[in-house]
Amino acid sequence: MSTPTPTTSPPWTHVLLRKDVLAGLMFIAVAALGLWLSRNYSVGTALRMGTGYVPRLLCWILLAIGALTFVQGIIAGEEIGSTDNSQWWRPFIFVPLSLIVFALAIERLGVVIATLLLVAIGAVAGQSMRIVEVAITGVLLVALTVGIFVWALGMPISVWPEF
Amino acid sequence: MDDLFSNIMLGFSVAMTPANLGFALVGCLVGTLIGVLPGIGPVATVAMLLPLTFYLEPVSGLIMLAGIFYGAQYGGSTTAILVNLPGETSSVVTCIDGHQMAKQGRAGAALAVAALGSFFAGCVSTLLIALFSPPLAKVGQSFGAPEYFSLMLLGLIAAVVLAHGSVVKAVAMVILGLLLGLVGTDGNTGGQRFTFGLVTLADGIGFVPVAIGVFGVGEIIANLIAGEERRSLVMAKITRLWPTGEEFSQAWRAALRGTALGSILGVLPGGGATLSSFAAYVLEKKVARDPSRFGRGAIEGVAGPEAANNAGAQTSFIPMLTLGLPGNAVMALMIGALTIHGIQPGPQVMTERPTLFWGMVASMWIGNLMLVVINLPLIGMWVQLLKVPYRVLYLAILLFCGIGVYTVSNNTLDVILTAMFGVLGYIFMRLGCEPAPMLLGFILGPLMEENLRRAMRISGGDPMIFVNRPISLGLLVAALILLVIVAVPAIRTKREEAFQES
Repeated sequence: MSTPTPTTSPPWTHVLLRKDVLAGLMFIAVAALGLWLSRNYSVGTALRMGTGYVPRLLCWILLAIGALTFVQGIIAGEEIGSTDNSQWWRPFIFVPLSLIVFALAIERLGVVIATLLLVAIGAVAGQSMRIVEVAITGVLLVALTVGIFVWALGMPISVWPEF
Repeated sequence: MDDLFSNIMLGFSVAMTPANLGFALVGCLVGTLIGVLPGIGPVATVAMLLPLTFYLEPVSGLIMLAGIFYGAQYGGSTTAILVNLPGETSSVVTCIDGHQMAKQGRAGAALAVAALGSFFAGCVSTLLIALFSPPLAKVGQSFGAPEYFSLMLLGLIAAVVLAHGSVVKAVAMVILGLLLGLVGTDGNTGGQRFTFGLVTLADGIGFVPVAIGVFGVGEIIANLIAGEERRSLVMAKITRLWPTGEEFSQAWRAALRGTALGSILGVLPGGGATLSSFAAYVLEKKVARDPSRFGRGAIEGVAGPEAANNAGAQTSFIPMLTLGLPGNAVMALMIGALTIHGIQPGPQVMTERPTLFWGMVASMWIGNLMLVVINLPLIGMWVQLLKVPYRVLYLAILLFCGIGVYTVSNNTLDVILTAMFGVLGYIFMRLGCEPAPMLLGFILGPLMEENLRRAMRISGGDPMIFVNRPISLGLLVAALILLVIVAVPAIRTKREEAFQES
């Protein structure tokens, strides 16, 4: 009924998880996005290059190299491997999130609250969070930030919330 | 020769003012402070502290930045020897024998040899910069748009060839960087490119968010995902700082060879500290009478690579200062800093702003001297710093990344971009895509397009202009040779070996 799958070729999921395959797909995706975004840019001629001349040229090259990387990965290559960390999503989400919250908070709420928010959210990213330690770190960092950036360097940053 | 002397004197008169000495010292101290911390390399350190220098005079800012760079480089070696954790790729080889020495109770000797070897290399390479920059800048001044375009192309190709990992992926990363560099308003036609209709993107993506995101934030994510640090700090064993006579006589020759090798490799585009230290380690192993000592605490394995990476780090300033061509990621950051200070990098810097150029050269030597002072007697202080757990440190680093980016232009979007590039940086790492070529492409992108356009206008749209001009042709041929070389299988395996010495 069913033919046995040959043991020499790995299952397709393993091939898909190779570094080069994924990298190739990433480059192809970026190139395709770039070509789509620049679809209405005027290309012009070599003598009078338009807005889209160089970007579109680069996107086509990236597309070709992405495809090459992809094919190389299909033929052979190292798998991306697991992280040995079931909580990998925590840094992956909370590190960037802490920065984004910091950015949104600093103008409205001032640097003190923004710093505390960054420390609190950033602490969730690590696995060995200890409340007391994080609190002390937060207070120290607030003092440092205000001391260095506001007092010593005199940068125009608001310290407290502005209403 | 008289010229050289008066130029160096001019440099010292700039660098020796109390204010500039102070900035050099602060730079070295802060650079060492952050460089010592495991998991933060010179690129991340320089990127993170860059905004601090924007508030200074251009000369002072660059002097401080250079100090930060040396400090970070040096601090990384300390960490490599004492904790067996390389701060950056350039100190990977220092770990091998340096940490073995520390385990045997010879940490003091390893640190002293690293410091003195680096200082010696720093002196020699500073002199090389002073000697070779003026003639090179003169060559650069005769360059027109076609030559510049070909030169940058050569630089990018060399960066790809000398980067470690897959060549094809490195090329893709360069192009990705070039594309990112094009985001914003096209200077020639006024058209908007890839701005998604956002007003803040009309000026393009700042290089600070890209650099701090990819190198700083990306590294934090990677370190946290890698999990609990396994540090093996060798403590309380630094009893004697000075190497024995026998150790010294073994070390000085290695430092000499390392300096020579590093000085040459540093000038190459894509060269610099990392390549130099790897190459020096391989060389030391080759010339040693008893290669089996390596990996078990051979002092040459510390002296050679340490001298080489400092020499390489230093001479990589030559193409940056004379031609405006960044050879590696740190130099790309320096170019960015110059641009923010309103200085167009290129051969004209030396003639139009001699105080800036020579002041910086003189400060290099002063910085190297300061580092010996900072590192040897104060080593105990840096060791204490290594005891701070990473779970506290990364919060501080994260905060400095955020506030650093914000203060460059008081722009919220820049911080959000930094977060996004941080995620990208981690993904690049997992996929084995080197971010350094991307940063080079990012910096060179707009310059290359501008020169390409100018060249086309000169020739009336005929691409043959690049091969009709002899200098341009020579540069292109050199680029082609590099590409062919890397495609030859035998050389390819050699190249992979060189980067896998550990």
